Amino acid sequence: MAGREAEFVVIGSGVAGALVANTLASAGRSVLILEAGPRIPRWQTVERFRNQADKMDWMAPYPSSPWAPHPQYGAFANDYVQFKGPDRFESQYIRAVGGTTWHWAACCWRYLPNDFKIRSLYGVGRDWPIDYEDLEPWYQRAEQELGVWGPSDQDLGSPRSGPYPMEPLPLSYSEQRTSARMNRHNPAWRVVTEPAARNSRPFDGRPICCGNNNCMPICPTGAMYNGIVHVDKAEASGAELIHSAVVNKLISQGDRIVGAEYKDPAGVSHRVSGKQFILAANGIETPKLMLLSRSRHNPTGVGNSSDMVGRNLMDHPGTGVRFYADEPLWAGRGPQEMTSLVGYRDGAFRADYAGKKINQSNISPVERVARQLIRGEAPLTAPELTEQLRERAARFTEFSSFHEILPQPQNRIRPSTSEKDASGIPKPEITYAIDDYVKKSAAHTRQLYAEIARVMGGTEVEFSDRFAPNNHITGTTIMGDRAEDSVVDRDCRTFDHPNLFVAGSSVMPTVGTVNVTLTIAALALRLADTLLREA
Amino acid sequence: MNMKWRFLALFATLALLLAAGFALTQEVWDEAAAVEVNTELNRPELIEKGRYLALLGDCKACHTAPGGSPYAGGRAMQIPRLGTLYTSNITPDINTGIGAWQLEEFERALRHGIGRDGRNLYPAMPYDAYARVTAEDMRALYAYFLFGVAPVHEAPPDNKIRRALSARWPLAVWNFLFVPDEIFEPDPQQSAAWNRGAYLVQGLAHCGECHTPRGIAFQLKAYDETQKGFLGGGPVLDGWQAYNITPDRDNGIGLWSEEQLTRYLKSGHVNQLAQAGGPMAEAIENSFSQMHDNDIAAIVTYLRSVPPVGGRQKVPRQRRGTPATDVVIKRGNLIRRDAEPHNLEATSDGARLYLGLCASCHGVDGTGSKDGYYPSLVHNSTVGAEREHNLRQAILEGIHRKTGSEIKMMPGFARELDEQQLRRLLDYLRKQFATAAED
Repeated sequence: MAGREAEFVVIGSGVAGALVANTLASAGRSVLILEAGPRIPRWQTVERFRNQADKMDWMAPYPSSPWAPHPQYGAFANDYVQFKGPDRFESQYIRAVGGTTWHWAACCWRYLPNDFKIRSLYGVGRDWPIDYEDLEPWYQRAEQELGVWGPSDQDLGSPRSGPYPMEPLPLSYSEQRTSARMNRHNPAWRVVTEPAARNSRPFDGRPICCGNNNCMPICPTGAMYNGIVHVDKAEASGAELIHSAVVNKLISQGDRIVGAEYKDPAGVSHRVSGKQFILAANGIETPKLMLLSRSRHNPTGVGNSSDMVGRNLMDHPGTGVRFYADEPLWAGRGPQEMTSLVGYRDGAFRADYAGKKINQSNISPVERVARQLIRGEAPLTAPELTEQLRERAARFTEFSSFHEILPQPQNRIRPSTSEKDASGIPKPEITYAIDDYVKKSAAHTRQLYAEIARVMGGTEVEFSDRFAPNNHITGTTIMGDRAEDSVVDRDCRTFDHPNLFVAGSSVMPTVGTVNVTLTIAALALRLADTLLREA
Repeated sequence: MNMKWRFLALFATLALLLAAGFALTQEVWDEAAAVEVNTELNRPELIEKGRYLALLGDCKACHTAPGGSPYAGGRAMQIPRLGTLYTSNITPDINTGIGAWQLEEFERALRHGIGRDGRNLYPAMPYDAYARVTAEDMRALYAYFLFGVAPVHEAPPDNKIRRALSARWPLAVWNFLFVPDEIFEPDPQQSAAWNRGAYLVQGLAHCGECHTPRGIAFQLKAYDETQKGFLGGGPVLDGWQAYNITPDRDNGIGLWSEEQLTRYLKSGHVNQLAQAGGPMAEAIENSFSQMHDNDIAAIVTYLRSVPPVGGRQKVPRQRRGTPATDVVIKRGNLIRRDAEPHNLEATSDGARLYLGLCASCHGVDGTGSKDGYYPSLVHNSTVGAEREHNLRQAILEGIHRKTGSEIKMMPGFARELDEQQLRRLLDYLRKQFATAAED
């Protein structure tokens, strides 16, 4: 049990943990990073993906480790997450060094100023204890750290103190055509270029995007940002990382955290000690660990005097539409997603139903269309197949959406009382229900989809009304002004323990309408600055 | 107690006085020194000429630290067996640079490798090449460095030299034995272009420093085309090896067209032939890409004329290799790590590493992209070279080359590969892309 010691112990090595660790290590501080999952070389993931028969299963190249499982569904379903309540919360994450941004589309949106105060403005959800202006300097720095491209000629609604680090690559032909037609039809839709952490010029030792069009599940060249970038930097600056170290208990003494216990893959327990502890293990594993860390002084887990740990679980329930446009668009050239429709991110309607962002997919539809044709009833000759494949893949168009679900204490994650993983650690159990606030918005989104399909001369319009997960796991160690109803304060410090902090999506009081990674990064950098100021 | 305080006060006063006095004398000395330098050379046209000559000599490359101010020195140079040298500040700062140097002192350093204090400079400074520079060009260089460069007050770190080797007198012996110090004499039998090219190649451009073989005392074996081995390929320096650039067809660059050689020097990139990396990328970025076209043409003229230096190669390095087909076998088969989940030692072979690490840009068959942005590894003069040094360095460090507004880069893979994997990958690349195709 004798273990290592460091001034700062960071639990989790995704984008949040890596940014905190790198900032601290670069300032000469002693940092120990504990990561539950293994190291995964990029080339192995690339080769796994290229070997896959089913290229649409994006989690298949990331096999779940026996000692640190992550949720998998479909062909590789592993029954890790236990579901209670009416809706399944099938959002996924990756337990590996570098975390879930191995697998993302690199969308790097800032919140709108109004997203921070929907309670005051619209009477729903919660206000953040900080304003947009408080976070803006760290948004700017996060964009620099991650290497974000964004349009210099479009106002995305989030005031900026400086330009984007990079200009975007030219839009794909598909998105040029679609956004032009949609904006002409209704300028209020505002189809804009999406900011993304992807290189349009050599940046930070990483190359230019060359359009492999498989950002998800893996960028094969590193042109797209992944959390591993800052893990590597942190280690180069002197941080120590132990991988395959599954932390299952935080040890407290009085109101301070003094140690963390982890299991190695053989099931042997180890203990590390430190002065400051930063939890950065995403919106499911972070609260699970806190709730598992019960002791005489913390009978319901650490940081949980408010009973809010694990509650207010949020994501972006999404719906979709597919159709065949009246012109060849050839989706699939360049990155997987370059534009979004942002006209419904904010407005008085948010008092009544959810704000949202609509995304156009630029993922190559060739495999999907080929499957449909081969599965079809009429037998096809090879030349017919080729011709139809070309014709249909060229016109296939797909949109999806993010709806803002509100923080509700009854949507929660808890350690299962009956199910354990291979390490003997309780599995997460999730209770989740999608309410009318989202469903009403989704009905409006459906009308919008139909209108988009009309504008694009779409045929064979097919709606996906079932809410899909979008892996933006938020709210479960919620940030607030008051210890009675919040887990962390405006500095991401737990109300109950002066040396326990949370980095990552779980502190976010609302999920907003956009991808959350840039906000995670900004909050992590801000937290690191707080830690340095106090050290 | 009282006594102790009084002493302290006394000391403090003395220290203050000394500091003030030092600052004062320093100032007086600075002014005096400033007067002594050859201010009559402070003429715009001479400074401009010197600026271009400094570019030809690529002084900036060594005398600038990564991310540092131009010419302020401080770049670390690892010298095998000796230790680490830090290049000097050659801005006209009076204290830390060369602002107090007279023309004669400047010229003595450049031509003979003797510093202002009379000590021998380490021959990491190519003074043996700069000895060729005409007196007129020396004056222009002096004018530029004294009056055309902004002074930077910044002392480079002290050299870290093994104590046993720190004496400088052996360098004087070395110089006496090996280093010629004749100013370049034009050959009236040759064209003006040839003479200009010879002057640049032997002198400021100091090509031979890397491209000419060295002897047992690390001295250059040849200083011009009349001596055996000139530009016939150099030793490994900092992991990189400079190639034979004589007109030998199989061992040099005899099969490169003049147009290709010109394009290479101006951009560092010739599709289906060569891409500059490491120190040559640096030379192209800082120096060759900014030279006047007629100087490049002169260099090409001269390089085409030097005696070919032969070697063991029967097929030139840019004519080796065949497209790879391993993807046919590998695709659909598990990587070894997954095929043998309980074998923690299991590592993939070179072909698999190539597919996972390199093929996304260079193609599964290694032929790169049509426009050459991603170079072909087949018929590639770096991959196909006799020895693997530069290929290894390119993989580990990557490539970064900026010419004009264009940046070419390849990421380095040092963090992605352990020694065994690097060995397997190199062996695969050499077997596939550095072996001559069967006739």
